[in-house]
Amino acid sequence: MDSIRKHPEIKCFVTVATIVAQLEVILTEAKSLSLTSKNARVVAIRAGEAALGFKSITNFINEFSGRTIQTTEHINLHASQLFKLALHHLRASQLEQHLAKSLTILDHPESKKLYSVAASHVKDAMVALKHELQNLQWQFEEIEQQMRAAEYIAVTSRVEASQAGEFCASLESVSDYISSAAMRIKGAIETNLNTLDELERVFK
Amino acid sequence: MKSTDLYQGKHHKWIVFGRDQGKSEKIIDTNQYMIVTNQQTMLLDPGGIELFSAMLAGILSHTELDKVTTLFASHQDPDIISSLGLWDKTIPKAKLYAPWLWEGFIRHFGMDNIEYKSIPDEGQELRLDSVTFRFIPAHFLHSSGNFHVYDPEAKILMSGDIGAALEEPDAPMFVEDFARHADKMRYFHQRWMPSNSAKKNWIARVRELEIDMMAPQHGRIFKGEAVQEFLEWFDNLEVGIVNS
Repeated sequence: MDSIRKHPEIKCFVTVATIVAQLEVILTEAKSLSLTSKNARVVAIRAGEAALGFKSITNFINEFSGRTIQTTEHINLHASQLFKLALHHLRASQLEQHLAKSLTILDHPESKKLYSVAASHVKDAMVALKHELQNLQWQFEEIEQQMRAAEYIAVTSRVEASQAGEFCASLESVSDYISSAAMRIKGAIETNLNTLDELERVFK
Repeated sequence: MKSTDLYQGKHHKWIVFGRDQGKSEKIIDTNQYMIVTNQQTMLLDPGGIELFSAMLAGILSHTELDKVTTLFASHQDPDIISSLGLWDKTIPKAKLYAPWLWEGFIRHFGMDNIEYKSIPDEGQELRLDSVTFRFIPAHFLHSSGNFHVYDPEAKILMSGDIGAALEEPDAPMFVEDFARHADKMRYFHQRWMPSNSAKKNWIARVRELEIDMMAPQHGRIFKGEAVQEFLEWFDNLEVGIVNS
C-alpha cells in the first residue's frame, strides 16, 4: 500500500484493470438476464390468461437488461481510452520523477525548464484522467439505478408468478434469477465504485 | 556518472559516460557514448531507463539538449535503449537509428515523437555536420539484428557487446593489461555470442578498418595494441558455449 501511495499512477493502472475485469461480470449477467426475459416471455405466452401480468413484466426485464448491456459496452469502449490516459499519466509521472532526480545531480536551467513542462503535463494528464474516471462513476451509478428497478421487478414478478397456475414454479424461478442476477451486478458495481473511491483517496 | 573525453578532433569529439555509482547493484554497468559535432549531438546506446537521470545531467554538462538530434541503438536490449520513452518526451524531434529488424520491438519502450530510422542489414553511412560515420553490421553478435558505429576520422569503433566485460562499477575506463583483462571477457563472449561464423565474418571485416580505439558497451575500452590483441583473442575463442 505504501508503494501505491508513493506511486498513485501505478494504482491508477491497477484500478482500470480491476474495473475492466468487473465489466465482464456485469456484461455476462446482463446478457443472461436478457435471454431469461425472452424465455420467460415464451413461458408466459404458453401460460396464457393466467400469466398476463408476467408477460408485460418480461418487456421491462428485456428493456433494462438491454440498457445495462448498452451502458456496459459503452464503458468497455471507454476502457481502452482509460488505459491510454493511465499510461500517459504513468509516463508523464515517470519523466517528472527522473527529471527531479537529474536536477539533484546537476542544477541546470534546461533541466529546470524540462521539469516544469513535465510537471504541467502530469497535472494535465491527471485532470484528463480524473474527468474520465468521473464519467465512469456516473455510468456505474446509472447501472446501479437500473439494478434497483430490477429488484423491484423481481418482487412484482414473483407476485404475478404465483397466479400462473401450473406455470407458477417456472416463472418463480425466473423471478429468483432476476433477483440474484441484479444482486451480482450490484456487487460488481459496488466493487468498482469502491475501487474508484479508493483511487480518489490515493490521488488526494 | 563518470564522463571521460575519448577523442577531440577538428570537427567533433567523443565522450563516454559510465561507471555510474548511483545505479542499483543488480543492474549491469554500461558505457554510453556521445559524439558532439559543431551543431549536433548523437548518443550511442543511450542506456536503460534507470540511467536516464544521470545521463541527462551528464549530457547537459557538455551540450545543449536541442542539439541532441540523433540516437543510435545497436540492438533491442533494455540496457541499450529502455530509456527511449523518456528521451521521446525530452528530445521529441530527434531521430533514432536502429536495426530495421527491431523496430516493432523497440517501439514497446514508448515512442510517440522520435522518428525511427531503420538501418538496413548491410549497414549505412550517417553524416552529422561534416563528419561521416558508418553503421557496421554485427548480426548475431549477439543480437540477430545488430550494428556497430565506426568513425573513420577518429578511428574509433563503438563495438556494442563485442569486447564487453562484466566488471565492478569502479573498474578503470581503459584496458591496461590485456592478458589479465581477457579473463573478465571470456564468459561473456562464450555465453552471449551464439555464432562462430558470425564472429569470423565480423573479425575479417573489422581487420580492414583502421582502429585506434575499440569502445564496447560494457567494461573497458581498448586502445592501440590492445585492439589487435582483442581481435586475435576473439578469433581463437570458441563462442556459443553454455558451460565454460
